[in-house]
Amino acid sequence: MATNVNALLESLRETKVWKSIFRRGPANSNRTRSLAVFGNLFLHWMPVKVREKALHVRVSYYLGSISFLLFLILSVTGILLMFYYHPAAPNAYRDMKDLQFVVSSGVFLRNLHRLAAHLMVFMVFAHMFHVFYRGGYKPPHEFNWVIGVKLLLVTLFLSYTGYLLPWDQLAFWAVTVGTNIISAMPVIGEKIRFLLLGGHIVGENALLRFYVLHVVILPLAACVLMGIHFWRVQKDGGLTLKAKDSDGK
Amino acid sequence: MNEAENAKFDQRNPGADAEVTRRDFLNQITIGALGVAGFGSVAVTYQYLSPNVLFEAAAQFRAGTPDLYPVHSVTYLQDQQVYIVRMPEGFYAISAVCTHLGCITQWKEEAQMIACPCHGSKFKPDGVKIEGPAPRPLPHFALSLTADGELLVNKLQNVKNTQALKV
Amino acid sequence: MANNKIEIGFSSDAKKDPRRVVFVTKKTSAKVLGERGPEVMTYPHLLLREAIAFEILVIAMVVIALFWDAPLEQLANPLLTPNPAKAPWYFLGLQELLHFFPPFVAGILIPTLVVLALVVIPYFNVNVEGEALWSRYPSRNLRGVLVTTILVLAFLVFFDAWTIITPTAIVASVLICSYTGRQKTTGWQAALASKPLSWWIMTWFIAVSICLTVVGTFFRGPGWSWIWPWRPHVG
Repeated sequence: MATNVNALLESLRETKVWKSIFRRGPANSNRTRSLAVFGNLFLHWMPVKVREKALHVRVSYYLGSISFLLFLILSVTGILLMFYYHPAAPNAYRDMKDLQFVVSSGVFLRNLHRLAAHLMVFMVFAHMFHVFYRGGYKPPHEFNWVIGVKLLLVTLFLSYTGYLLPWDQLAFWAVTVGTNIISAMPVIGEKIRFLLLGGHIVGENALLRFYVLHVVILPLAACVLMGIHFWRVQKDGGLTLKAKDSDGK
Repeated sequence: MNEAENAKFDQRNPGADAEVTRRDFLNQITIGALGVAGFGSVAVTYQYLSPNVLFEAAAQFRAGTPDLYPVHSVTYLQDQQVYIVRMPEGFYAISAVCTHLGCITQWKEEAQMIACPCHGSKFKPDGVKIEGPAPRPLPHFALSLTADGELLVNKLQNVKNTQALKV
Repeated sequence: MANNKIEIGFSSDAKKDPRRVVFVTKKTSAKVLGERGPEVMTYPHLLLREAIAFEILVIAMVVIALFWDAPLEQLANPLLTPNPAKAPWYFLGLQELLHFFPPFVAGILIPTLVVLALVVIPYFNVNVEGEALWSRYPSRNLRGVLVTTILVLAFLVFFDAWTIITPTAIVASVLICSYTGRQKTTGWQAALASKPLSWWIMTWFIAVSICLTVVGTFFRGPGWSWIWPWRPHVG
């Protein structure tokens, strides 16, 4: 039975259709393993080879990878949640109740989304502190560190804009307080608050603007910044190791 | 097992494969588990995306008592886009949606016909087409009487256009 | 002819005149390219580990999501402010800070300075070199640390910011302890004595942030008054 299935798969792999999609052949030589990364649209951000020492959990605790994976989980759950959410007051709150009681697996998806959101903020902070203590900001990695700080800000802002969307008391007042703080900025504070809220109060316009920020603008910014971030890691020589393992220093 | 026994075994069990290695077995188990997880995820996602509650007009509705409708009358119910037609042989509930491209038809009292403003299809009061590009007659909906004597129209169920509700 | 000695400039006695082999100016340094070490293919080694990490993460999160419900309070009411109105946990530290300083300082100035400080870390040579704080000028550095700490503490006492004073005092005392133990070679004092200034500043920052966030989460009740979380209070 086993070899029949294997034989079937082998003959499938010999077909024209398969070969037109998967061009490199099975990944059983270093050349095809290189192609698996280098020739793949989604994976070519990564280097073809990594230093063996960099694979150990203790080097990075995989904090950066986990942050990215949480972002993926958030994207998938977020997109699914979008199918039942109207960004209008007070429909938004009714939709939250719908998700809780009426929609199949609605509770689970929302729980997962919220959990992933909190975890991602925590992991991004942890990643930043860990990179600092490991000295991963030292030249030639300075620019990547700055990109990382920007990613931290985008993550915080993503979490904050998402916080308003349930349109419950918790959301409403958290955003009221936050936007009041922004207006404390000299000269431009009031204008920024006006733009952010689409008005003077936290109302329908604010909900819609936060929704667009949360769902389109900030995820796009995050994707672009993450692209640069991963690319720079690869181009600067791969994952930095502990101070005593890396070159020179 | 020596050569002779191997040969005998292969003779008696011609389809027996070479033994499955531990690696193959684990690979198959992994793929199987991933398959189950993947299939489960797809099934649950499909369930999630199919709404359990619709915020639309109900497909079944009451149209009042039969004595509201005089014989030989065609009454248009705007909210439901249905004509209640009462003929000597009984009641019909006819869809007001033109079968051509979905425009809402209108009842022309003076011409005693149902006309579609979009492309000029014309129908008799029983839904049969007189002229125009409509491919089919207007569908009839299932009509019944409730326990307290009201007309009940079910837009989800079509009936033959000869079937009338006798009251 | 005997006096026409050609002065080469160096004597052959190495003790008197060491030979110059390489002239190193201040700007260049003899860099040795380190070995990259043994490398393996990304596929399968790294990718499979990432896949496993992802699976563990997803399983853990799914299990938690099945049991821990995300909160949903009543419908937003612009006329009724809950007391206390708290921000999400990652901003609670900031909200605690708001209790002590005016909104411009706590909400705009300090966060901006923090972000700026983070961004410029890699551009300061002292951070790149990462020299231990007590290695070169211990007494001068100690004086600097003491003066700065006293100034900061005075400033905080003026604003009654006890939530920040406590972690600052703790970190400062550990720092001074590491000074006294800087001659040791083993133990925690020796480990701490080798840490550079940037390490101490970051550790202080993390300690203050954690303190602010924990206080803001658990120890603040209605009207942002101090509460003991294990005692019942009217909310």
